[in-house]
Amino acid sequence: MSTTWLPCGDYHQSYLEDHAWFQTKFIKGKMILLGLFLFVLIPWLADSYWLSVCNQIGYTLLGALGVQLLIGFCGQVTLGHSAFIAVGAYTSTLLILEFPWPQLMLNLGLAYPISIIVAAMVAGLWSVLFGLPSARVKGFYLILTTMAAQFITVDFVITQYVSQIGGRGQAFSLPPGTIKVGPWVIDTDFKVYFMMLVLVTLCIIGLANLLRSRAGRAWVAIRDNDISAEVMGINVVKYKLLAFFVAGFLGGIAGAFWISNLAAISPEHFTWFWSLWLVGVILIGGVGSIHGAIFGSIFMVLVMEFLQIGIMPLADSYPKLLMDFLFIKEAAFGLAICAFMIFEPYGIAYRWWQIKNYFNLWPFSY
Amino acid sequence: MNFKSVWSKISIFLFVLALITSFSAMAGAAEVKVGGLVDVTGATSDVGKDYALGMSDAIHYVNDQGGVNGKQIKLYQFDYGYRIPEALTKYKLFKRLGSVAVLGWGTGDTEALSPTITKDEMPYVSASYSAHLTNPAKTPYNLFAATDYSTNARAAITAWFDKRWPTHPDYGKRKPRFVCSYHFAHPYCSAPIKAIKDQAELLGFEVGPDQNVTLTAIDTKSQVLAMKDFKADLVWHGNTTMSVSATVRDAFALGLGADHIVNNWGFDENLPRLAGKAAEGVMGATVAEFFGNNVKNMDIVVEYAKKYNPGVPLEKRLVRSIQAWANVLALWEAMNRADKAGDLTGPGILKKGFETFRGFDIGLSVPPLNYTATDHRIAGQVPIYEVKNGKFALVELVDLKGRWPDKWANEWLGW
Repeated sequence: MSTTWLPCGDYHQSYLEDHAWFQTKFIKGKMILLGLFLFVLIPWLADSYWLSVCNQIGYTLLGALGVQLLIGFCGQVTLGHSAFIAVGAYTSTLLILEFPWPQLMLNLGLAYPISIIVAAMVAGLWSVLFGLPSARVKGFYLILTTMAAQFITVDFVITQYVSQIGGRGQAFSLPPGTIKVGPWVIDTDFKVYFMMLVLVTLCIIGLANLLRSRAGRAWVAIRDNDISAEVMGINVVKYKLLAFFVAGFLGGIAGAFWISNLAAISPEHFTWFWSLWLVGVILIGGVGSIHGAIFGSIFMVLVMEFLQIGIMPLADSYPKLLMDFLFIKEAAFGLAICAFMIFEPYGIAYRWWQIKNYFNLWPFSY
Repeated sequence: MNFKSVWSKISIFLFVLALITSFSAMAGAAEVKVGGLVDVTGATSDVGKDYALGMSDAIHYVNDQGGVNGKQIKLYQFDYGYRIPEALTKYKLFKRLGSVAVLGWGTGDTEALSPTITKDEMPYVSASYSAHLTNPAKTPYNLFAATDYSTNARAAITAWFDKRWPTHPDYGKRKPRFVCSYHFAHPYCSAPIKAIKDQAELLGFEVGPDQNVTLTAIDTKSQVLAMKDFKADLVWHGNTTMSVSATVRDAFALGLGADHIVNNWGFDENLPRLAGKAAEGVMGATVAEFFGNNVKNMDIVVEYAKKYNPGVPLEKRLVRSIQAWANVLALWEAMNRADKAGDLTGPGILKKGFETFRGFDIGLSVPPLNYTATDHRIAGQVPIYEVKNGKFALVELVDLKGRWPDKWANEWLGW
């Protein structure tokens, strides 16, 4: 069997080979090039603004991964994911600002990394709480319970109580120097970018591994037919709750990451619209694929950026365009979803899969 | 329809727009770029729309006067819908576009951005007058051409204590009872709470439970009934005009019997229009002249309002326009001074511009502006007005700095 190119048939002789990350040298080469592109070329070429755009993509992707897991792999439709991102963000912020860290840990820059892990755990457990109804309800009814998560968490618990801690009202600012990872103070888009890349890489590897495990297969079985899955001996409630936990965990990481980018936090960052946006991201990217979450995040952020770039010169003649940009952006979001539903219902990931297949099978693609 | 052709057309369109933009960015060499954030559609749009009009009118005026020593100001004015994340995103855009300063809006976003603008050394002239932004040791690049919320709140409760309480039948028999009505969750509304309660304690008030009234409230009866249970003599309103007028109306309808004092963003020409008879006697702080009144430079404001926004009748324009003019004129002067010193940068605008102001007068009944390297509060005197027959009448010019000089100098800065 060729170790460079994919063979024209399935010649795997063990599960280890079948599940290998890099099945050929060519794939390994491609991934090394991708790594060089992300870790060297982009930070070398992009200015601070475009790095901040990349950070926005990373944040969207970290959020969308959880939504993809719940909707795309486990079939549990959610419209309250930004609540779990908010839990992660607030847990991390409060730990940084209020927890009496020993000076040694602050000096070693461990406070923020530890807060990310704790934030992810808390968000995961909070997500399980709102996943409990999934044991009894599904479809539209589940959508409503996840929406309740949004309103109970963000509009009630966080806005009225959590964000009042310290007596400063709704918005927290993180003073410069408080977000530190090891010896590095995360205070520029450049440093945030590298942190984002590390987190995104770890989350994608973690999720991809989970999906090829027993849990992943159980999730897909539940998605395809929960009754059949139960008949096959899968504990449906357990695996649904596990999916909520992992999705919340990823959301918590997204939230904890986001505070490093903004150095500020308020409940307005985590509106219901952001939950809807994340669903839009996976619909456009492709439901049921990690690639879908990646492509959807890149597409949605870049389209909005290009839209903004596009209207700037026109604003000299039509100044109202700048004032109306907020709504142009939201209209573009709606339009993009409609366009994809009509012209590309399986999302960008499907198109990517087709392109890859074309080259993999070339010249005998029939 | 062939979807491939649709996608190719969209891609070409986006590519062409990107090209146009990159070329247009090269063309703007002789301009001074300024970012502008306004709220014309969000929770504070009742006061934000007029402020936005005032901001663009004032920039037109500045450019007609030759801009910053001959360089025209290019204003990038965005509506951010009072959404903090949108404000943060737009700030990054302003930075990328090469803005030398930003004209901001709300307290939540201004306070959230404060560490970032300090790091970026970006002068940020906001419509948020939160006292948290007045201590240069913590927020050196935050500025505004107005007295801050805490100063306004202290002045308003003091004016009521001086002028109204002595006429009350219970004067001398008991402490006056006071409650605060505001949207707890909004940083703008809650910014001066600590200060006004401190002043209430200083003057000997009995403070009752705060009432949570949202910025978009239209029915506040339950909150008014709670104030009635407490038998409040005075209510401080920390919201914007629409919400304040709803509360004042409900208080009138339910016979609360208390007086009202209002923060500056809840006290404008729309209050008597919206609350009618219920607004009579309501007192409030104002940081600039009401629109159209005969004071220095008002003729220019009116002329530019007519010229650039003829679709908005003058009788609908508000003091918010004047507040915007005040901020723009202050920034203009600071940029002029910095440019003359050959340093039109963030630190230059702050140190060689704003912090050289010693009683700089921009007219429009804005107190003469003073900014020092240790104190960004412009003045210690606040005029308190009341609504009388649907018009605004001066009650008292409260001199906090003169009455409590030690506290003003040593205690009250920055909160």
